[in-house]
Amino acid sequence: MIEKIKEFLGLDIKEDKYALVDDPFFGKVAKERAPEKWVRSTCGYCGVGCGLYIGVKEGDPVYVKGDPDHPVNRGTLCPKGLSEHEMVRAPTRLPGAMIRRDDGFEQVEWDEAFRKVSESFKRIQREHGKRSVAVISTGQLLTEEFYTLGKFVQLGLETNNYDGNTTLCMASAVMGYKQSFGSDGPPGCYEDFSHAEVIMLIGANIADNHPILKLHIARNRQVRGKKPTIIVVDPRHSKTANMADIYLPIKPRTDLALINGLCYIIWEQGWMDEKFINERTSGYREFIKGIQKYPPQEVAHITGIDVKTLYEVARLYAGADAAMSAWTMGVNQSAMGTDTVSAIVNLALMTGNLGKPGGAPMSITGQCNAMGTRESGFTSSIPGYRNFASEEDRSEYAQIVGVPQELVPTARGYAYPQIIEAIERGEIKALWVVATNPLVSFPDQPRLRRALEKLDLLVVQDSFMSDTAKEADVLFGAATWSEKTGTYTNSERRCNLAKKSVPNYKDSKSDFEIVVEFSKYFDGKYELLFNGWSGPEDAFEEWKRVSKGRLCDYSGMTYEKIEKLGGIQWPCNDEHPEGTPRLYYEGMKTPNEDGKPKFVFSDWQPMQEDICASFPLILNTGRTVEQFHTRTKTGTIKILEDLAPEAWVELSPKDAEKLKVRSGDRIALSSPRGRVDEVMVKVTEAVREGSVFVPFHFNTQLVNTLTQSLFDPKSFEPNYKQTAIQLHSEEVPEGVVLEEEKISGALGYAKESEERRSVESLKRSI
Amino acid sequence: MGEAKSAIDSFLEHKAQTGMQCGNYSIDIPEPKPGEQYRFHFDMTACVGCHCCEVACNEQNNNPADIKWRRVGEMETGSFPDTLQLFNSMSCNHCIDPACLNGCPTNSYIKLDNGIVFHVDEDCIGCQYCTWNCPYEVPVFHKDRGIVTKCHMCVDKLEAKQTPACVQACPAGAISIEVVDKDEWIANGIKKEGVAPHLPDVEITKPTTRYTLPKIGEGEIRPADEHILKPAHPEFPLVFMTVLTQMSVGGFTALFFGELLHLLGLDLPAPNLWMVLAVLAPAAVGLPLSALHLGRPALAMTAIKNLKTSWLSREAAALGAYAGGVAVLALLYLFGAPPWLKLLTEIPIVLLGIYGIYAQSMIYRVPARPAWNRRSTTLRFMGAGYLGFLLVAFVLSLGSEARSVLALLAPTLMLGLYQMHLIYEEMVFYRYLEKEHPLYYQLSRTKRLLEERFGKLKKVRLYTLGVFAIGMPMLAIIFAAANMGAAAAFFLFAALAGATASELVGRYLFYRTVVPLGLAGNFFAGNQRH
Repeated sequence: MIEKIKEFLGLDIKEDKYALVDDPFFGKVAKERAPEKWVRSTCGYCGVGCGLYIGVKEGDPVYVKGDPDHPVNRGTLCPKGLSEHEMVRAPTRLPGAMIRRDDGFEQVEWDEAFRKVSESFKRIQREHGKRSVAVISTGQLLTEEFYTLGKFVQLGLETNNYDGNTTLCMASAVMGYKQSFGSDGPPGCYEDFSHAEVIMLIGANIADNHPILKLHIARNRQVRGKKPTIIVVDPRHSKTANMADIYLPIKPRTDLALINGLCYIIWEQGWMDEKFINERTSGYREFIKGIQKYPPQEVAHITGIDVKTLYEVARLYAGADAAMSAWTMGVNQSAMGTDTVSAIVNLALMTGNLGKPGGAPMSITGQCNAMGTRESGFTSSIPGYRNFASEEDRSEYAQIVGVPQELVPTARGYAYPQIIEAIERGEIKALWVVATNPLVSFPDQPRLRRALEKLDLLVVQDSFMSDTAKEADVLFGAATWSEKTGTYTNSERRCNLAKKSVPNYKDSKSDFEIVVEFSKYFDGKYELLFNGWSGPEDAFEEWKRVSKGRLCDYSGMTYEKIEKLGGIQWPCNDEHPEGTPRLYYEGMKTPNEDGKPKFVFSDWQPMQEDICASFPLILNTGRTVEQFHTRTKTGTIKILEDLAPEAWVELSPKDAEKLKVRSGDRIALSSPRGRVDEVMVKVTEAVREGSVFVPFHFNTQLVNTLTQSLFDPKSFEPNYKQTAIQLHSEEVPEGVVLEEEKISGALGYAKESEERRSVESLKRSI
Repeated sequence: MGEAKSAIDSFLEHKAQTGMQCGNYSIDIPEPKPGEQYRFHFDMTACVGCHCCEVACNEQNNNPADIKWRRVGEMETGSFPDTLQLFNSMSCNHCIDPACLNGCPTNSYIKLDNGIVFHVDEDCIGCQYCTWNCPYEVPVFHKDRGIVTKCHMCVDKLEAKQTPACVQACPAGAISIEVVDKDEWIANGIKKEGVAPHLPDVEITKPTTRYTLPKIGEGEIRPADEHILKPAHPEFPLVFMTVLTQMSVGGFTALFFGELLHLLGLDLPAPNLWMVLAVLAPAAVGLPLSALHLGRPALAMTAIKNLKTSWLSREAAALGAYAGGVAVLALLYLFGAPPWLKLLTEIPIVLLGIYGIYAQSMIYRVPARPAWNRRSTTLRFMGAGYLGFLLVAFVLSLGSEARSVLALLAPTLMLGLYQMHLIYEEMVFYRYLEKEHPLYYQLSRTKRLLEERFGKLKKVRLYTLGVFAIGMPMLAIIFAAANMGAAAAFFLFAALAGATASELVGRYLFYRTVVPLGLAGNFFAGNQRH
């Protein structure tokens, strides 16, 4: 009572709570949560892979500070990284193992949960075959955990129906690299952003998704003495488009045509790097035949970019001493994702931009360790980028780890979307989901939800009570970032060390522990696969042996060395003891048979589900800087939630007028799959008429209800970015009426002749 | 270093090799020489709107999520595909002529030798007057602490050669610290480099932040929070305090003239103790009530520390002295002091009272709040004194002094009509508000609040004013003239109660419909001020 009166009178201004004290390492910090120690680690959110220090007080993480000695972020961090400590003790954490009872989840001993799940798995596999159990994992675990999990699933559970959510984000880059280089593996590095004369960002909104990369672009001026030319290719004028010297507002899903068209112009004008092409590439002649279908006028028609600009971009890109193309989901999440990735590689090859500072095709990864799972995870390949189909690769792997070769699968199992289809067919009966949240992130949610209901058993292993966890039969409550040790490999192949700095939350276990312990419930599997393993370092040692001599060679790394150098870029071996900044430099062979990167021509295809009278608008989905993926982590952090608490729909002023809505109003979106209500309108010139944008993070306005089951045939990556939809406002519930293209012919003619004139003048000037 | 084994013992000396101030925990910057000061440089061409600075600031200063010293505003201009999104990361502009400092009644702001505008937490009473005065809405009231807090450019860190948190955190190198020559800046720089879209006129406070802007085309610049139109804080204690003190001073003025005319020999009743007590009462209730809006009511008395530049100090001192004077006067009446002594005592009191209400109105005449910063505010506050006339008239009517009631009601009616006129003036002002008006954005939003959100209440205010400040007194005049004292008293009481209620409603609208200057906000979070 006295306290209350004192507080009312304002006698206590809580100076102590807001005072600063001196920390010997980072200077002034808030006194109330001055850390007792700092633990050097790596961020667990996205694929940039920033180095950081975790401040620990009384067993809890209380601070995160950017590591100024780390080459990736040099002391900076994005808002998610800066507040990462806040999610570790969030009330939505899973306390340990849990089993669904009639009245909700009950926490149980791990033994009970493991016993229940192992018995169910065994029964189901007995009745329906080994492959009736499937696993969907993630890009969020540590490499040691991925390796352990993959090994257990493939060799322990003996099901190859194992894939990760990386199929939702990086699979197209993987397959594209495989097409062009013979193996996965991003050739470039972040340093290239500081060395490139021209930087082309294709379908990459780095301002929202990878803001730390801006640091490397900002450094370009220091490194080269002048600003780089930045080209941004995006149908939406994202925050990133503001950086652009040239912004190419291509029509949705016309990126492949654009790149083909740029290659055509470069060929036509003779701007290519013939020496590079002759000496270091293959497949050029067939490629040139292919791109004949992409003359500038045709490409201008497809992409909506005028001919003059196409020439200008081609000239700049080909004329630069070093030019790089970086891309993310705009390219990958496409029914033509794989081929678009190869097209970007083609452009790099044609202009000699490979394996040199500032010259590279570069995929930017979405998750902290999507790379780790691609290399070691045993999903789309045998660990170490080995081919399932290769007898040699299988025997080599079996030999290294000491398992019978028959146990190693001879083919890749179902990819993520195929697993869902197999559940629909009743072929897969049990699903184990690890650290991913399909019930927000997978396309065509109504279909997914129906499929999951068919399962006999759904096991979810996660750190948080995600939307998917809520539907599970059994929960394996996992430890999260800062509670476990291991490595993350970032977009530029840099293997970073993340360290345990605090005790696990309640009774949760690290994913490593969960898998190893769980394996003991399967006869002889623990002894076969993990005998004598006591910690992640044991997995790392085996992974080093498995990767030795492969492109993704970790054999020269140790935890100490990784920490000392601020991460190491693979390959790291005797030849490259401190790692390799760039792949495919002069003299380095690609895994293709002839050792050269290959031109791969692919045709652009029009959209399968184009707009129509019932669904006359194109929906594009994406992210915002404040949130990460399905918000299981960032949704617990108030400062981030306040800035982006719910989804919104970006509408052009013209469409807003048609729907008689203003910013702040709420409307519904519908597609053939379903309907999303109550989405807040943001009227903005960031989108063109006929296009709308909604971030996908929010379970409250679940935009993946609308997206379609359309996948890249090679990578199985969903085509998230274009969905034909209709909008329904209160005043105009029937939505937008598709206008007849009455005079487009006449206009088209006028425009074309104007373009032809500009091309002629451009040609003369060159 | 705990478990960490870095090659480096401390990051304070370590250079992060960004080639910029960002990333580094230490900063190399010369100390300002006389005539110079520290300032922020913000490069709008580099900022990508990632909000790192906001989060880093809160992390550094242990501020909860809703106390933001640094905010990133968002704007958009142009049309697709020639769109341009603009981000403005702003904390404090460490102005050369800081309005927060000038207005602070407790001298809680200091402009340090290095130019940083520093808030002394211990002296702050949480009156929040600085939050009204700052045209950038920089100071923010921290409810948990009962005081206002603001950016101090991490002065403790700067003095120890450490980088301010926002500067350190920016991955784009968009925020940096510089030293500026103040005279040179005011003479040449500020008009060119001190300006940014959607920010107030630099003349108000002479901010020091230097902006590097992208090429911005012609055409409208739209803040991302345009759709968010929240009414301002109702300030209930102040609604009552202002109306009641105005009533008191008005009443006292009537009383004073009564005394004067009586002394001059006119056959008018002399004021009595009851009348003095009646005009004292509203002030005695209203003044302490105002302490309730403070974060630290216990320190209310320190509000008179800055008579030199703060209208709030002046108001508090003048009205405090006024109320004390009226209390003394009541004693004189009680002990039957001679009329000349009473009159002599009343002269300074009435002057203090009128000056107090003038000072009170000047509190609101701040450039940062355009809807308040109009002459009509002063006129409105002064004019509300008619409530005091009604009060005195009512007391008179109880004593069957019909004639003097008539004398008083004439100016009452005049002032009531004048209040009516001010409402009309306001309507005309907003009706003919033009887009070219430099404060169109804020004033048009006030207009929307008045017409849309509070349209009904606005009507209530107008009609009650007509009925109670004009209609009822006129009835009272008739009954007084007809020598029907009881009826006159009844209508005077109704007029007093109704008109007071009407003024309270009007004052409530006054507080709620003000739209301050400030930086553009966010689509969801708005300007991040309460």
